[in-house]
Amino acid sequence: MSNKLLLPNSYKKMGWLLLIPATVLGIILIATQFEGLPLEATTFAIYNDEVIGHKQFFSFIHTNIINTVTGILFIVGGLLVSFSKEKTEDEFIANLRQSSLLWAVFVNYILLLAAFAFIYGTAFFNVMVYNMFTVLIIFIARFNYMLYRNAKLIPNEKYN
Amino acid sequence: MKNTIKIERAINNLTQEELATKVSVSRQTINAMEANKYVPSTVLALKIAKVFNKPLEQIFILEETD
Repeated sequence: MSNKLLLPNSYKKMGWLLLIPATVLGIILIATQFEGLPLEATTFAIYNDEVIGHKQFFSFIHTNIINTVTGILFIVGGLLVSFSKEKTEDEFIANLRQSSLLWAVFVNYILLLAAFAFIYGTAFFNVMVYNMFTVLIIFIARFNYMLYRNAKLIPNEKYN
Repeated sequence: MKNTIKIERAINNLTQEELATKVSVSRQTINAMEANKYVPSTVLALKIAKVFNKPLEQIFILEETD
């Protein structure tokens, strides 16, 4: 069974090589209130509005791009890990993939609903930041857990 | 749906891995089918029947709940 939307298996390794450093960077950023790692650079912005200042369209701006870099690395890494084929991507694995994706979206929105209902003030801003990444995180965790569980169930005896 | 894959495998002296290779799926898939946790596609069911050289109905059996 072939799925045209999936990348070859070799991309998975590349995904982890991006995702792991991005996770480390992300944790450092969260721990330092997003100000621990200054990485000033001039970058292109389609739209920029500063807290005190004017709005800019299609212009080059000078700013700290560490959040941008970390977020991009995390999303690209997460997409590569999520949507690369397993070594043997057969119909059962595709089935696990689909049910994990469904599970991830569902759990993500249950968590978001709870956050909507019970988290107020500036903390809700953090909820929105995390929510940008949680679907990917939950999917990767669930899918790999299901793969692990099914691999573990396999007995070693020849004919069981 | 029940199946007799495990029995047929023993008769034909095949491991899960060997059967998996013959029908080009992962070992997990054979294991999940034997544990009645996964119902294979028609294509895979036909391939398995072909390996064991038996009619489909002798390997895959409908249950009351199906």
